[in-house]
Amino acid sequence: MTQMLEAASIVKSFGAIHVLEDVTVSVNKGEVVGLLGPNGAGKTTLVNIIAGYETQDSGTVAIDGRNLDGMTPEARTHAGLARTFQSGRLFPDLTVTENIVLGAIGSGCSTKKANGRAAAAIEMLGLSGVQTESAAGLSHGLSRLVGLARAVTSEPDYLIMDEPAAGLNDHETPALLAALDSIRRESGCGMLLIEHNVGLVAAACSRVFVLASGELLFEGNPQDALVDEGVLSAYLGDATMGLHGGRA
Amino acid sequence: MSDDLLRSSQLPGVTRFQWQQLLGPIVVIVVLSYVISSISITFTFLTEGTLALLVMVLGLQVFIGNSGVLSFGQAAFAMVGGFATGLLTVPVKIKENVLDELWEPLKAINMGIWPSLVIAVAIGAFFAFLTGLFLMRLSGLAAGIATFALLMVADNVFFNWRLIGPGPQVMPQVPKFGFVDESIILAVVVMVVVYLIGISRRGRLLRATREDPLAARALGASVWRLRVLFFTVSGGIAALSGAMYAHHSGAVSARDFYLGFTFTTLAMLVIGGATSMWGAVVGTIAVTAIGQVLLEFESGVTLGGIDITLPNGARGVVIAAALVAILIWRPKGITGGREFTLRLPFLNRP
Repeated sequence: MTQMLEAASIVKSFGAIHVLEDVTVSVNKGEVVGLLGPNGAGKTTLVNIIAGYETQDSGTVAIDGRNLDGMTPEARTHAGLARTFQSGRLFPDLTVTENIVLGAIGSGCSTKKANGRAAAAIEMLGLSGVQTESAAGLSHGLSRLVGLARAVTSEPDYLIMDEPAAGLNDHETPALLAALDSIRRESGCGMLLIEHNVGLVAAACSRVFVLASGELLFEGNPQDALVDEGVLSAYLGDATMGLHGGRA
Repeated sequence: MSDDLLRSSQLPGVTRFQWQQLLGPIVVIVVLSYVISSISITFTFLTEGTLALLVMVLGLQVFIGNSGVLSFGQAAFAMVGGFATGLLTVPVKIKENVLDELWEPLKAINMGIWPSLVIAVAIGAFFAFLTGLFLMRLSGLAAGIATFALLMVADNVFFNWRLIGPGPQVMPQVPKFGFVDESIILAVVVMVVVYLIGISRRGRLLRATREDPLAARALGASVWRLRVLFFTVSGGIAALSGAMYAHHSGAVSARDFYLGFTFTTLAMLVIGGATSMWGAVVGTIAVTAIGQVLLEFESGVTLGGIDITLPNGARGVVIAAALVAILIWRPKGITGGREFTLRLPFLNRP
């Protein structure tokens, strides 16, 4: 059986608005895949469908051949799927460490094991300086890193990251890139990276999917995507996107 | 991973068991209880009653404080606990003479206080579990209204159904506790349970659901299951509170656990700080102290030659005003939702 996370032939509408039209994306175990698209392309809706927060009108979501349709988000987490949120969504009254530890506890770890995983994630993402701080006081960029650390501690088979580099500064972005590489090498998990930062996607991903207006426009090598005419024309209308290594 | 485990023992910022946090509130309660109850028999009675209220507030804290879901219905389980222990311990002859409409099998039962407390807690927890299966699907305003409806249902059942109690009358001759020690022991046991469940893995996950249910689900936490579990524990503790109240006052009626009881205990929780055990302790002590002082003033007090008599009901008005003030200016309560840490040299060794 192929080890992969697959969302196949996904169709989704909100009333008369067609958000996703027969979209298929897949991530192999140990692979980092990018999901690109201008604002309103349907990226977040697709992520919410994969993670179980939205229900598709048709199509299926599966992990390693196991159909996830009808499963709650928490059940999908136990099935080996983790995600981060575009807005971080940390638990503001809890410390950074507690936020991260809860990622492992939620997946069913013992307290001791959860603490061990959290310590490793904190070290890997360079968060030891803010461990005891309340999550409410963190900068936007640090919140993203803590959210990533929290997701990693569940040791998922597949990790979906919703714009992890948004809000990171020029020093933090390379650190994130290194961390993603470490996570992939150490855990062997497959990662779906939803990003506006095309430079980051080109550096981190072996494959890329491009969505535009709810349809899959491109699938293939990130370098090829940068010169694909369809992709270029989709982005030319979006002044917020810099395609050649720039960021939103 | 062994290195990770080694590092984890010193992981800064993580929630973990701390003797100092557990012993602080316990020492305060034990010392205050013995000091105050030693003043007079009236104060012993007051202490016992306050300890029963403290147990109720701790029961509220376990659920409301950790889940963030407001419940007006926990007094229903106190009602269940009070009636259960009453029916199990009131002498058979009293039941035959006073509770003549009581269901026959209940008339024949009679046991000691301690086994009846265990059964009362089990019955309270069972009913909390049954109702929680449905109510815990709700959040926010809907949960508040539904749990209030539960309280009204319980009151109507106990107030009118003579097969299981005295109806609108009082169930008399409930055996009283012999000493204040019994109430103190029960309160301390509940404090230990509340603290341990609060720092447990599920307690910490429930707090995560309080902060952001959507994000907590992404971590694998089932919001509904966690809420049902803690609602059940809270119901069991509330039932113990009702039972303690019955054995403290020597009688029990449905109206002992209705709106006044619900308002007072919720005010205690909010004023002290809903998110910590220490908040429940401080709130109970503060509201009881304010209430007792105002009670004296309602009876008439002479200060510097001036007679001061507050109108009846002043207690309720002042406590309500304090509740509003806390909600506006210090929504996390007097304690700010933090635990009290007892600083003693032998406890603070690494």
